[in-house]
Amino acid sequence: MTHESLSQDINPCFPGLDENLIFFYAGYFSQNIINAIGDSVRLRIGQSDASGSVRRKIFSTFIEMAQNIVHYSSDSLTPPEQTNLEMRAGSVLVTHVDNAFLILCANPVSQAFAEQLTPQLEPLRVMSSEQIKDAYRKALRSETSESSKGAGLGLLTIAKDSSAPIEYGFNPMGNGMLMFTLKATI
Amino acid sequence: MNQLYLASTSNTPEVDFDFPTRRLMLKGESYPESAAAFYGDILSQTAEFLGSLKNEDLQVIVQLNYFNSSSTKMLFSFFDRLNQAAEAGNRIMLDWHHDVDDETILEFGLEVAEDFPAIEFHAHALES
Repeated sequence: MTHESLSQDINPCFPGLDENLIFFYAGYFSQNIINAIGDSVRLRIGQSDASGSVRRKIFSTFIEMAQNIVHYSSDSLTPPEQTNLEMRAGSVLVTHVDNAFLILCANPVSQAFAEQLTPQLEPLRVMSSEQIKDAYRKALRSETSESSKGAGLGLLTIAKDSSAPIEYGFNPMGNGMLMFTLKATI
Repeated sequence: MNQLYLASTSNTPEVDFDFPTRRLMLKGESYPESAAAFYGDILSQTAEFLGSLKNEDLQVIVQLNYFNSSSTKMLFSFFDRLNQAAEAGNRIMLDWHHDVDDETILEFGLEVAEDFPAIEFHAHALES
């Protein structure tokens, strides 16, 4: 079996990341599914030689990404106006490459939502870790924005725990939607 | 006011707010689907309770293993209210328990201590 066919078999969402794969899930996410997957991610990471601090950052990044899918994916099984017991589609992957843990997530979004996200994400790629910490401290003390179902702190929390700048992309899906992907390095 | 008690779940903490004995405790995990929904009623009952205190001692124990970003925001509001009660003449003692290698939770605790100096803040490192 070639590596390409293996990657097709295990993880069709994030090409080339099947080696040392720790966790991959694609499908509908709800809070109950996050609870169950979260237990599994904790157990798998607990079996690795990662330090306690790294394990906590992986778990935190996983939860923030998975809850973003539940709140913001455009592929929703529940009515878009429903704000609890939501169920929306996306994928999350955790892998170990070159002594770092990579955590990736993907979910479809509308063009309009992509335009809202980009100005939140782009600054996080160029800020120093001190600047990210400062932005986090400010966001913690500010009022929550209206478009946010969480605290508006989620992306900053992910960026703060990432040892390399976060990476993101929007790829056209052909149905007018864009596939949003986000990558953090722990 | 009566005691407010909620048992823990896989993603919400045990809430034991024993208002009559002046002891409030949060313990466990905190990553509900909506932190605003989970903490809304807890914070409004606490605000009402704090408003009724006059020159009293209150012990607050927070021992959370993990809390997500939206819970972080709610905890910050909770401490803001505690700080107001302390500034109004009450003695608020906050026992902040964090895992020994959890710098994130310790750092958040230190932010709280810095922003809300009227609260007597005590950090406790727990061995995992």
